[in-house]
Amino acid sequence: MANLSGSDLTHARGINELLSAYLDGELQGDELERVVEHIDDCAKCIHEFHQLKEARTALRLMPMLEAPEWLLAKVGHLDSELSAYLDAELTTAEVPMVIDHLRECARCRDELHLVDTARTAVRSMPRAEPPGLLHVIRAGRTKRKHSRWMVVAASAGVAAAVVLTLGFVSSTSQFDPVDLVSFSDRHIARASVESGFSIFPAFAPGAVLP
Amino acid sequence: MAEEPTPTWEDVARRYGRKIYNFAYRLTGNPHDAADLVQEVLLRVRKGLGSYTPGSFEGWLWRITRNAFLDDVRMRRRRPVSPLPDGDRVAFGASPSPDEVLAGVRLSDDIQQVLLKIPYEFRECVVLCDVVGLTYDEIAMAIDSPVGTVRSRIHRGRKLLRNLLTWPI
Repeated sequence: MANLSGSDLTHARGINELLSAYLDGELQGDELERVVEHIDDCAKCIHEFHQLKEARTALRLMPMLEAPEWLLAKVGHLDSELSAYLDAELTTAEVPMVIDHLRECARCRDELHLVDTARTAVRSMPRAEPPGLLHVIRAGRTKRKHSRWMVVAASAGVAAAVVLTLGFVSSTSQFDPVDLVSFSDRHIARASVESGFSIFPAFAPGAVLP
Repeated sequence: MAEEPTPTWEDVARRYGRKIYNFAYRLTGNPHDAADLVQEVLLRVRKGLGSYTPGSFEGWLWRITRNAFLDDVRMRRRRPVSPLPDGDRVAFGASPSPDEVLAGVRLSDDIQQVLLKIPYEFRECVVLCDVVGLTYDEIAMAIDSPVGTVRSRIHRGRKLLRNLLTWPI
């Protein structure tokens, strides 16, 4: 079957392209027959077949790597969903899934509590005025005159910033070093007297899950 | 193709986490990118399981994996691949000799470097076939292409790889 011109013709028809599939046992029917009939008499295809086999062997000799331990430790647990849950940023479909998981997973409940404590601490910080207001006022004075009310308003802003900053410094000095649990307690206390200032209620340690 | 029951997310993570890691590692040669991809894929799987229609789970999973990988590549705008750090952390059997370990790491490193020189579309099919162990049908589903395309890409990928390997196997 395989004289030179016939062989070239067969290669042109794509036998060569079938050799990897033949090697992988992925050929059936006519295609399989075509390759089987052809390959024994075609030195070019036999050579090609061996080359492909060597490449496949090399690839399959590569070991399966171990995934990093930290990655595996996270498997099966919630991660970024916890913060999204606290912030009500999960999709409708995700919420029941996360709640179901939290019901059964103490580790994720602990993680949720930690995230919630940190979130509460950050949200408990007083708002600070942006720095640099004084520079703006000075620059304004040198460039052009402002109306009296603008100067008064700016001065009042600077005074308020100073008062707030001093208040913040004195208040933070009472809680130095920063104690997240303390922040959390203050947050909970605030939530108890201020409507609309909510805390996440369900998964505090020891809480009964819905 | 026979329907398979839908696994839980935890099942997916345990059964496929390592395979996904290997897929990504072999495509990128970068352990950090591989770990990132595993996390991204598991996140997408978790979101997608609710709407998954039972069928070929492997095809569905690897399509997600491949899309996550391509999205990541697009986002990074094909940043240069960094060289392998200290050779692979090889999952050998009990007590391999130091020579065996060294030979395995060298061999693996050589092939890895050559893999990274192959055009992405060929590399992807070769890795899914020879590293992950998917059938041609599963690969076709994963890359959303006909089986004929898969055949051709695996074939050409292996030929390129063999031509680039300079040592006898």
